[in-house]
Amino acid sequence: MQIVQVLAYGILLGGIYALLASGVTLIFGVLDVVNVAQGAFLVFSALFTWQIWDMFGMEPLLLIPVMGAMMGIIGWAIYRGMLIRVAPQGPGMTVLLMFGVALTMEGILNLAFGNKFKSVTPAYFTESLKLGEIVLPYPQLISGVLAIVVLGAIYAYLRFSWAGRALRASSQNRDGAALVGISHKKAAGFAFAIGAATAGVGGVLLAIMYPIFPATHYEWIARLLGVVVLGGFGSIPGAIIAALLLGTMESFASTFVPQWAPLFFYGTILLILVFRPQGIMGSKTREDVA
Amino acid sequence: MKHGRLGARGRIGALVASLAVVSLVASACSSSDGDTDAATGTESAAETSAEESAASEDPIRIGISLPLTGDFSQPGGEAQKGYNAWAAVTNANGGLLGRQVELVVLDDASSQEQVVTDYNRLINEEKVDLLLGTFSSLLNYPASAVAENNEMVLVAPAGGSPKIFEQNFKYYFFAQQATAPNQANPFVATIAALPDDQKPKTAAYAIQDDPFAAPVIESMQAQLEAMGVETVYSEMYPPETTNFQPFASAIAAAKPDLVAQGAVFEDGVNLVKSMIQVGFSPNILFQTSAPSNGAQFTDAIGTGNQDGIFYAVSWSEKAPTPGNAEFLAEYEAQNGPGIPAEDAADAYAAAEVLAAAVEATGGLDNPTIMEWLHANPVTTILGELSWDEIGRPQGEFLLAQWQGDTVNIVAPAGLTTSDTLVMPKPAWK
Repeated sequence: MQIVQVLAYGILLGGIYALLASGVTLIFGVLDVVNVAQGAFLVFSALFTWQIWDMFGMEPLLLIPVMGAMMGIIGWAIYRGMLIRVAPQGPGMTVLLMFGVALTMEGILNLAFGNKFKSVTPAYFTESLKLGEIVLPYPQLISGVLAIVVLGAIYAYLRFSWAGRALRASSQNRDGAALVGISHKKAAGFAFAIGAATAGVGGVLLAIMYPIFPATHYEWIARLLGVVVLGGFGSIPGAIIAALLLGTMESFASTFVPQWAPLFFYGTILLILVFRPQGIMGSKTREDVA
Repeated sequence: MKHGRLGARGRIGALVASLAVVSLVASACSSSDGDTDAATGTESAAETSAEESAASEDPIRIGISLPLTGDFSQPGGEAQKGYNAWAAVTNANGGLLGRQVELVVLDDASSQEQVVTDYNRLINEEKVDLLLGTFSSLLNYPASAVAENNEMVLVAPAGGSPKIFEQNFKYYFFAQQATAPNQANPFVATIAALPDDQKPKTAAYAIQDDPFAAPVIESMQAQLEAMGVETVYSEMYPPETTNFQPFASAIAAAKPDLVAQGAVFEDGVNLVKSMIQVGFSPNILFQTSAPSNGAQFTDAIGTGNQDGIFYAVSWSEKAPTPGNAEFLAEYEAQNGPGIPAEDAADAYAAAEVLAAAVEATGGLDNPTIMEWLHANPVTTILGELSWDEIGRPQGEFLLAQWQGDTVNIVAPAGLTTSDTLVMPKPAWK
């Protein structure tokens, strides 16, 4: 029974990792930008969730659309205001730019919220669903289920809507998409907005699970990059599989060999990349020269 | 043809760049919020004579590196508040040696590399007269080597890990009552004094791999095992651990009477929340550090759930120690109402230690200050502190317990603010 319990924790954790990492991989897939500010976006959303919850006492989950929209708009503004100008300089410059954005956001959050942990504690934050001997904490359960719903919605949107197909087209062949009237800049701005919006949603979920602090973003971005690398940069299905794998691995390691949990997390990534350098669902690409 | 999109090399380049950025995070952001006008004197601070300092009209400059950003920015920020309160009180009372004091504060971004850079800069470029320590054993460990090499006294508000004292430095002083392995002694003594029917028979230990937290719980485990308390669970976990449901489930399955956790903050909160979620409430719960964070802790675990939790602490706002009321008043004046964090009080006390030595020796000669501190006790808001030949404090920590909405000191005898213990710990609310 202990194995089932540990597996359940791992799947819930993996679901949350999947949602948080999906934005990073979507942005990379369309823009070729490694958004190292995604962790800062998450914490930004989480702290604003705390602020509104603290002021009005409203159910934090109701803030999911608000935070999703807010971060989407902020993401779009960052793309249009800064990233679009720096992107032609290459990936190194965009990483530095987004790192600067992350540090700036951390500084703003430090000024606005202070160097203190903030905790969102709705009525269910310490309650659990008990299925026989299996315990599923409500914050993790709700977050895991919502992560799957949001990921499903993103997947369906990208798969079946015209805008989603335009995004995928721009991601797969920028020049070809332009020939059929798809503006890469608009597609890229839209992709960045969606990616940032997933951080808005993820921030709300993070807030009901953990104490939040401006510097928390460092630990999250390290994990999210691990998930994205393992899944294959640019692949949302890959990120989902990698997140579930790493979440389960982390859960088992925490139970049986806690001191070695980071080794299992990053060791798994290393091992898989040795045999599949492009990640689980990444595709091999080549760079032609003139 | 060269495509606009990245190929394999471009993607690898992006990945390498991003990972490099992440790895450099801790050391990339250094800033100064102190006075950055470097002194222009050619003599080192250690060589400044007492006569010169007494005659000078310039402020005494005290260099401090603190983790104002990064992982330790929460305690680092609190320590800065403590230092600021001390500087304000000291200047209002006429300063040190008749001179005003000026703090030169650099941000070490919670990085071991940056803290070395900061203290070297403070000593060699800023030419500060004196140093005060940073926060945590992790950062004071490298900082202490810089101070020792430059023969500058470093009085640290946090940094009681045994590893620091293995260096046998003369210039490092830990300004709390006891080193990490001795901090659980009052708790162990309290457990030993319980009636037989209340004594725990089994214990579980969850320990963050932290140079301060781990020795506290490892020492406690050894002492409790020597008393006959059987260990049914003992695991070390890395600092980046966030998910504690697996730990809570494993501990609940072992059904210990006592749970002790070597926690910093987030991990302490998350283990309590996870134990509530799995429906396990131990009869006795001890945590390092986390419960000392007042409302941040009680808000995070749910008000009421703190009742009965023990923790070791260096300072109490209720303590009738000299200067405590002055500290509380100045802290409130600078930061608004609220009880200061222990970290702020520890920083204030560290500065009191340095100030006492400066006043007693009548100058800023660091070797003289070092000799004096090894030979003399100092009265601070934490009580009286004294050190051995390698800067280890020689006192006893306080044992605190959350009792309802307030914290009481329950050991050692003579320093208590409550004669009763909440035992066993009430069920979670």
